[in-house]
Amino acid sequence: MLANLSLYLTVLAPTGLLAYTPQTAGDLVVVRAERLILTPGNELAPGVVLIEDGRIVGVGGDLATPEGARELSGKVACAGFIDPWSSLGLDPQSVRDNATNPAVRTADAVDPWHAPHLRLEALRGGVTSARVQAGISAPLGGIGVLLGLSEADSPILLEDACVSATLGVSRPRKVDIFDRISEVDRLVGLIEKGRAYRESQVEYNHEIEEWEKNVAEKEKELEEDFKKAKKKREKDLEKAEEKGSEFKEKRYREDKKPKRPKFDVVSEILARVAHGELTLVVEVHRSAELRRLLTNTADFDRLRLVIVGATEALDHVDALAERRIPTIVWPAPIGDVRRDEYSEHDLSLAGELERAGVLVLLGGGGGPHARELRMLAALAVSQGLDRDGALAAITTRPARAFDVAGRVGALKSGMDADVLVFDGDPLDTTSKLLYCLSKGEVVVE
Amino acid sequence: MNSNMKTQRGIQRSRNTFFFAALIALGATLSAQTDGKIVVEAGRIITLAGEDIENGVIVIDNGRITAIGPAGEIEKPWDAPVVGGPAFTAFPGFIEAHTSSGMDRPNENFEVAPFLDIRDSIDPVSYYFEDCLRWGITTINVQQGAGCVIGARGMVVRPVGMTVEEMMVRPKYGLKISAIPKRGKSRSTQMQSLRYAFDDLRRYLEGLVEKERDERGQARREALFQGRDVEGEKNKGRAMGGTAWKVDGLEIIPRGAIDEKHEPLLDLVEGRYMIFFHCGSPIDVPHAIEIAETNGFLERTVLVLDEDCWKAADAIAKAGVPVILDGGLVDQRRDPLTGEERETFVPEVFEEKGITYAISSENWNDRSLWYQAALATGLGLSRDKALAAVTRTPAEILGLSDDVGTLEVGKFGNVCLFTGDPLSVTTWVDKVVIEGRPVYDRADDVRNRHLLEGVTPQGTAPPVADEGDEHDGDHEEEHQDEDEDHHEDKDEEHGEEHQDEEKEG
Repeated sequence: MLANLSLYLTVLAPTGLLAYTPQTAGDLVVVRAERLILTPGNELAPGVVLIEDGRIVGVGGDLATPEGARELSGKVACAGFIDPWSSLGLDPQSVRDNATNPAVRTADAVDPWHAPHLRLEALRGGVTSARVQAGISAPLGGIGVLLGLSEADSPILLEDACVSATLGVSRPRKVDIFDRISEVDRLVGLIEKGRAYRESQVEYNHEIEEWEKNVAEKEKELEEDFKKAKKKREKDLEKAEEKGSEFKEKRYREDKKPKRPKFDVVSEILARVAHGELTLVVEVHRSAELRRLLTNTADFDRLRLVIVGATEALDHVDALAERRIPTIVWPAPIGDVRRDEYSEHDLSLAGELERAGVLVLLGGGGGPHARELRMLAALAVSQGLDRDGALAAITTRPARAFDVAGRVGALKSGMDADVLVFDGDPLDTTSKLLYCLSKGEVVVE
Repeated sequence: MNSNMKTQRGIQRSRNTFFFAALIALGATLSAQTDGKIVVEAGRIITLAGEDIENGVIVIDNGRITAIGPAGEIEKPWDAPVVGGPAFTAFPGFIEAHTSSGMDRPNENFEVAPFLDIRDSIDPVSYYFEDCLRWGITTINVQQGAGCVIGARGMVVRPVGMTVEEMMVRPKYGLKISAIPKRGKSRSTQMQSLRYAFDDLRRYLEGLVEKERDERGQARREALFQGRDVEGEKNKGRAMGGTAWKVDGLEIIPRGAIDEKHEPLLDLVEGRYMIFFHCGSPIDVPHAIEIAETNGFLERTVLVLDEDCWKAADAIAKAGVPVILDGGLVDQRRDPLTGEERETFVPEVFEEKGITYAISSENWNDRSLWYQAALATGLGLSRDKALAAVTRTPAEILGLSDDVGTLEVGKFGNVCLFTGDPLSVTTWVDKVVIEGRPVYDRADDVRNRHLLEGVTPQGTAPPVADEGDEHDGDHEEEHQDEDEDHHEDKDEEHGEEHQDEEKEG
């Protein structure tokens, strides 16, 4: 993979878009900002971030610059953005594939050679990682990946971040209400099947343990009694010979071995979903499907649901807020909205959901253009979303929803050094991105 | 329209007759010269194993070269027929490293079909094999195309023979795997199927072992209970070999009990097959290497690459696998940002990275190996390297170095006699000797003469276009069979007429 980056750098270098400064291991970088946003709402003014070997090693109000460190300074610094709804960096055929199943690995669709300029554009927009998905509009997509957008040798932060599904999404034709409802039932049915599959496995494990114990005991017993049994058999044989009758072996019986549940590759994955080991991301827009989904999944107490799209989610804010279901909204300007299920789409959706107590995330709509994420967040702020909420919606919340909060989404010691330095507020679209650091490497300046 | 149809059919038939005439001619030369001695003389011998030999002689006995050198130093057996002469340049036959030509319908239906064999699909009377002789190709690795996940077993053949058995050089040679999405699949689902095939193999084998162990355990307990002596263990198999994952206890399963769908895959994991792994895009390369590595056949893997796979050259070099170029020699791409066209001469990249590569004719009829080698030379590859990429290197990659690739004592007597330098546009293949048998002579190549000189061979003339108005359209449709028969008679008549005319002329 090392070759990949150098390849796309050689492609891009002549364009002057990227001034690449390779940072060898052990390199020190210090970021100084007048305002340092550690997490949205938790700021230092001024603040310093110390970076070594691609990781944040110190955050403080006033830290001295170690010798030999490169110093970067600007007005505001914050963590790199995460696009929780994207297909950037993937082989386009796998993204469009509607015949995927939950066991398909998006990791297999990650194509560093495909359109590297889109990844660079995303970095220039401050997006340093994204949740990407093969079969993004398929009824059942594959296992989603949390992808770093610049890392040369290991672009994948988390290989199994989630499983995705869509309900009532036009592909490409409209879906009628009965089909949509049956799609919900099918999905819930699969989760149910996954849960039952895991239960049958657990049950089998118990049964087989017991069976093996019994058999071992029995075998020991039989071995002890073998001499006796042999003598008896010889006697019986003689007797039978004397009488001239046929000799019959004694009939042996033992407990039947419990049967292993049949392996099913899809249920393997859905068992993990039903038990909350994998997040289930469902793109759903209309009120009817969303209601049915929320109602029918209510008794899966370990299921971790994420709602994507959520055009008519305002009808169900109570359930969404109460179950703390992360809801990814795409505050897309008109013109980007192509599909029927977006007809009720309103730019104020994110703000209204947030005010109703729903955990709002902002995403790029599933396309490869993650570069717009900051603009979309600003748009949502202009339509009523709280500023800190908007920043959290593209940093800490997606990190938590997809199990990478220990690595990205905030400025904290020990985390990956994905740092953005602006000459103004990050959500002011006119402020310039001075530096973008990914794993401690300055990838944009 | 009526007469048109007839003409077409007539031509079709005469083509067939003509074709069979040509084949019979080939067959006759074959059977006349089997396993005997033969001497090939040439003004120049390009051995590809050291210096060229001026005015040289090659002695072939029993299919293999027994002596090669300048005319004065080599003793020619008195009873051997002599082929060639001072006007010719002798050259080792070209080796087609990988092709999907020459097959009647290859499998494109089953995703995972290692139990199929190309042997059942090769069509000995395919025009392709006939053309191979004209192109000087003497060894061909026929493998299924990329429309599969795991495809059929391939075969190395020589382009002569009326049956697949006659053509066979190495049966069951290699297996085709494709990282390119089969129709209806995407890269991610293709990879899923590929991984699943090996997971499934492992589960299958584990299942077999478990079942056998259970049965043995129960039999033992039954014997103990009944007071019988425990019977000795039967069904001896062999422990699982290979360098990758293993299934414990496979030695209790006789190999014959493994079904034909899984057996070839087990052979694969145990490293007993050569793999031709098709890659259509650079991302397929790390995928292929990963699959090969985790399943223990990386050392036996050959990557078959499309032109833009050069971008993954570092990964290929690191894995140390040889490649066969199956796409163009030049990769043309437009830069998405600048719009600039960039051209990359693919062999040069592999040359720089020290990767072993063979050039194939990419399944094109107009890009045979001499064309490819000449083109590569024109694009900057040295002549030696370009020639090696279509002879010696494919022989190495295919593990056939002991038999083909150069003209040396001990190797197959596969010799092409060119009328001049093999890479010149004004030369052609005049004679071909395969394993000591003269199998092609341009003077006897009726179809070639037919095409180039317009000479119609005897008995193969197409019927005169207009056969008159004996049948109208309705009649023909109603009595199609009758009409067919009738037509055939007429063809024969016509052929005879033509012969007569020629004799008179």
